[in-house]
Amino acid sequence: MKKIFSLILVLFAFVANAADVVELKLPKSDLIVIKIMFKNGSVSDPVGKDGLTDITANTISEGGTKDFTSAQIKDLIYPWAAEYGVSVDKEVSIFTFQVHKDHLMKFYPIIKGLMLNPRFAEDDFSRVKSNEQNYVDEVVRSSSDEEYSKMTLEDLLFRRTNYQHMVSGNSAGVKNCTLEDVRAHYRNAFGNSNMTIGIAGNYTPEFLAQLKTDMGSLPTLKSPLPIAQKARIPVGIEVEIIAKDNALGSAVFTGFPLAITRSNDEFAALMIANSWLGEHRKSYSQLYKKIREQRSMNYGDYSYIEWYQSGGQNMLPRPGFPRSSNYFSIWLRPVQTAKGLKGQYPELSTIEIGHAHFALRMAIREMDKIIANGMSQEDFELTKTFLRSYMKLYAQTPEKQLGYLMDSHFYGRKDWLLESDALLAKTTVADVNAAMKKYWQTKNMFISIVTDRSEAVPLAKSLRDNLPSPMSYSNVLRGVLSQDILTEDKEVENYPLKVTKVTILESADTFK
Amino acid sequence: MKKMICLLAIMLTFGVGMMNAQQSKGNILPYPIYQHKLPNGLNVVTVPYDSPGLAAFYVTMRVGSRDEVEAGKTGFAHFFEHMMFRGTEKYPKEKYSDALKATGASANANTSLDRTLYHMTGNAAMLDKMFELESDRFMNLKYSEQDFKTEAGAVKGEYTKNSASPYEQLDEKMNDVAFSKHTYQHTTMGFFKDVVDMPNQYVYSQEFFKRFYKPEYATILVVGDVKPEAINALAEKYFGMWTKGDFISTIQVEPTQTETKYTHVQVPNFPPLVSLNFKAPAFKSNDNEMPALDLLNSILFSEKSDLYNKLVVKEQKARSIGGGATNSRDPYLSQISASLVDAKDMQYVKDQIITAIEKAKTTPADATILADAKSRLRYSFAMGMDSPTNIAEAISSYIWVTGDPESINNAYVMYDNITAQDIMNVAKKYYINTGLTIATISGDASCPIK
Repeated sequence: MKKIFSLILVLFAFVANAADVVELKLPKSDLIVIKIMFKNGSVSDPVGKDGLTDITANTISEGGTKDFTSAQIKDLIYPWAAEYGVSVDKEVSIFTFQVHKDHLMKFYPIIKGLMLNPRFAEDDFSRVKSNEQNYVDEVVRSSSDEEYSKMTLEDLLFRRTNYQHMVSGNSAGVKNCTLEDVRAHYRNAFGNSNMTIGIAGNYTPEFLAQLKTDMGSLPTLKSPLPIAQKARIPVGIEVEIIAKDNALGSAVFTGFPLAITRSNDEFAALMIANSWLGEHRKSYSQLYKKIREQRSMNYGDYSYIEWYQSGGQNMLPRPGFPRSSNYFSIWLRPVQTAKGLKGQYPELSTIEIGHAHFALRMAIREMDKIIANGMSQEDFELTKTFLRSYMKLYAQTPEKQLGYLMDSHFYGRKDWLLESDALLAKTTVADVNAAMKKYWQTKNMFISIVTDRSEAVPLAKSLRDNLPSPMSYSNVLRGVLSQDILTEDKEVENYPLKVTKVTILESADTFK
Repeated sequence: MKKMICLLAIMLTFGVGMMNAQQSKGNILPYPIYQHKLPNGLNVVTVPYDSPGLAAFYVTMRVGSRDEVEAGKTGFAHFFEHMMFRGTEKYPKEKYSDALKATGASANANTSLDRTLYHMTGNAAMLDKMFELESDRFMNLKYSEQDFKTEAGAVKGEYTKNSASPYEQLDEKMNDVAFSKHTYQHTTMGFFKDVVDMPNQYVYSQEFFKRFYKPEYATILVVGDVKPEAINALAEKYFGMWTKGDFISTIQVEPTQTETKYTHVQVPNFPPLVSLNFKAPAFKSNDNEMPALDLLNSILFSEKSDLYNKLVVKEQKARSIGGGATNSRDPYLSQISASLVDAKDMQYVKDQIITAIEKAKTTPADATILADAKSRLRYSFAMGMDSPTNIAEAISSYIWVTGDPESINNAYVMYDNITAQDIMNVAKKYYINTGLTIATISGDASCPIK
């Protein structure tokens, strides 16, 4: 592996020890990237004000400074194509600024002003709040059923914890947030004591010193912020079905709490297992092969051992979403409903449920098999080789390189990508199989399904009563499928799932 | 072990070369583009870039939903892209998957109006294997009827997941209304009835492969830690025997639109949307209309524009507003959309957009604003050229519209030379009522505005 890449680039990436600064010096780059990360996130939202951290961060980012209105800033940076914005997750908020070095010193007063003296104008706040309210009230339910089911799974996993509500909050929480709350939250949750500065590019030591001094002038937090709470342990398989109008498919997410994160060395072994089972958007993973490729059921099927941001849009994982409260999940992209299949194929006119129950059985059965039987040496070697090369693609741009270094910092590591490669190199198939047995199981899971109203009741009954769920292929497909697949289908349709609870929720009742 | 960690640290840090945007008089792309045409017509493009150990390998096929000329075959170019992952005699599906996995590359494909793009970014030392895998499937694709019918279900699954979005629903309806003859009438995904019927089109799929998967439709582009001589040698070795085809799609010309058209999606409890879709020119290497339209859209609808400041920041009637034209081979659309706070303001917002457009037809753009818009384009481009993948994406976007990678540099020369008069000219020529399709989303039963 060492010989694979040529080694002509002289760069260094390190985490400074003195101040909380992550540096990535890139002498040849004309781009300067600055990231200011605060360890707060939606878990630090005060009770009853769910969404306040996101609203605060966005009011800073989309508002003005003491010296400039938001419109003046847009005017100023327009010809430079400078970019900035904030991403808020459960445990962090990260402001990212990118500018060509030609304009760094002109841009810097804006960076400094936004972070130290945000304007918090009433009209900026009302615009941000209105958009946030709109998202939690309407957009999340009506834009992407698969993203919706991911959010409702988290709601289920973390119910009655400070991790439950969406980063954007919920209907009542956002409604409760005032501009005074935003000002107070800025003082209480965005300080120098929970801040990490990140910088990448060909900056000068003097500039970095100035940045450190200025950002250091943020106040030290007076009180500690809430600690991220852990996911609930389900009792058996607990299902929540969200019924909505005119859903063409059933979008499924399932998961359970996971005790380890990138902080643990064993995570590397679990990465190999997960890559084999359900690497994100890769046709060579087991779930994809079984459900999409062999059975034509949907667009893709993947598994995760940590949060994956905007999976529908990203082929590679994005940095900036580090989490200490972790869970395993399986994402089954929308499968057909009975209503849809009946409309498409006359021969399926008598079916009562679509493909969601079968797909779930198939996925859980595959997971059971790999936990029980372990990976073969051959699969292990191939997957390990793949991951060690593939992970080098995670951080192709300076912004992503810096992002991954800052995430590493969150997890108490210096450079997780680098360290993972070393850990993967020494991981054995026995380590992988032991990690699966230690951390994975399928007996206790939460399942969230967003589906058409017509599918909800029959699907709930099928799951609750553990009824057989034969695959309903169209004649045109059934006629060409191999006997092996049809035989396996017979086993899958009766695969027992110990469902202990099934609840149907109206879409309008989610995220209240 | 320590030595190995140091080594890996160096391997992980790449992608730092970037242009100095001050060099605005030279090519926008600060890296030479090497082109080499094989006797079979396949163009091989290499762009060396300082990304140690890393290369992006793109095959741009100039076939997309534009080429779906037969009734009942909408969505087929995209479906065929799926079939390209179903193996060959030498590399049947399972073997192909394992071989691809062993490269450790990020590999995928996507389809649009005018092209199908196959891409792999990965270890530059694995390029020989990547070329072998790609050439094999481009020349020798072979799949069973079972694989074909099974893959059709995955495409239906893709339609199913997309259909949850009201924006996707509106896009499908809007194209159907805006065009009456040209194949831009349907989206790349295709009409649902055609998607459901795809399993029955096995024979047609073989015809599709024969027509379009030929060297004259393809351009190979490699960006990264590579030398053109080595890439040319790989192309000759693996693609040299690819036989030339002779098929040319006959695509109907869209008749001139004569009146404003309307379409609507009724969705209660969703942010109302008004979208103004004007017929726009095709992108041509030597024609400055599209660059002028891009600058016009930036001046009128960017976040620094007067309209944005009025509707989004001050009055807060719109949540967002934006406008842009698509670079396409045939005349397509320039689209201006605003997401609204309240549907009752839809007519007002539409009127405000039209007022801004009318003003742009008769008032020359302020010299500073025009210079700022040009500066923004250059710096935006420069800042985005920070990885082999991003550079390959940018160059390929020009390859599929013109066939010539150098048109990326030409385009920015044209941007530099656009005058205020050019901008008024395109506003007057294209932003007209008889070229307009108004598409809306709201809880109303039909389009609530005129």
